[in-house]
Amino acid sequence: MYNKQIELFEPYQGFIRGNMFPELFDQYGKIYDVKPMNEQAELLTYIDIFDFALIDLNLYLDVFPENAKMIELYNNLLQEKKMMMKKYEESYGPLTTNSEALNTVPWSWDNNPWPWEV
Amino acid sequence: MFKYVKKLEYPVNIRKKDLKMAKLLLSQYGGPNGEWAAAMRYLNQRFTMPDERGKALLTDIGTEEMNHVEMIAAMVDQLMQGAMPDELEKAGLSTQYVEYDHALFPMDANGVPYTSAYIEATGDYFADLESDMAAEQRARVTYENLINITEDPDLLGPLSFLRQREVVHYRRFKELKDYYHEKYSKKNQKMDS
Repeated sequence: MYNKQIELFEPYQGFIRGNMFPELFDQYGKIYDVKPMNEQAELLTYIDIFDFALIDLNLYLDVFPENAKMIELYNNLLQEKKMMMKKYEESYGPLTTNSEALNTVPWSWDNNPWPWEV
Repeated sequence: MFKYVKKLEYPVNIRKKDLKMAKLLLSQYGGPNGEWAAAMRYLNQRFTMPDERGKALLTDIGTEEMNHVEMIAAMVDQLMQGAMPDELEKAGLSTQYVEYDHALFPMDANGVPYTSAYIEATGDYFADLESDMAAEQRARVTYENLINITEDPDLLGPLSFLRQREVVHYRRFKELKDYYHEKYSKKNQKMDS
């Protein structure tokens, strides 16, 4: 039954729910919009959205590795995420130590903000 | 191998200091049903999963739990920003202050330090997956309790997100367990007879 096409939330709707799968969504209380406070946070939120969809589809595919439609979607989302990351890193610096934005002096990996800081 | 991504899985921006909630949130940091225990549990159990699906799922959920450890730590840290010793005492955090100052230390809401005894691992994948499903349910309930005692939307967003992840993890563990039940039932019958 799980190899048929499965309905998914749009990436943002899935992200704010913490669940890409409407059939599995279990609401408790309200659904909270994510409201970025500035342009940097907004760009980062786009990455969060696609990254989250990838995390959730990955877990699904671990258990249902034959779903070709889902694999295709995973790859499309991955391209979107890579584009978003490139855009962010060009303006605000590296998100990983594999980033192309690490070729400046001083070493930009150190730069604030770190993720736990408001 | 783990590599760091310089962002949280879901944003945490808490503007209001709330020491009572900081204390309670510690339960999801270093408590028996907390994120730290979950991450270590799954990343340990993956070594004794019987096939590719199990090794993948336990690795990936264990890794996601590391993201959640980081989110909870960020929440506790932000809730305690600028807290003075007398405020910490009023919130029941004076013992925490004496031992650890403003450092994060994995413990539960009662100050009981994290112990590796929280990592349930039996080497038996049915027992482990059943235990993982139960752990996800217990963590879901803890998040519901936390959601029920705060009205701060800065906290409710991430708490609701984290609660929902427990729902999803529970389902994936259950699907894997059901799959193993079918896949290995012949072997089980042979062992029984």
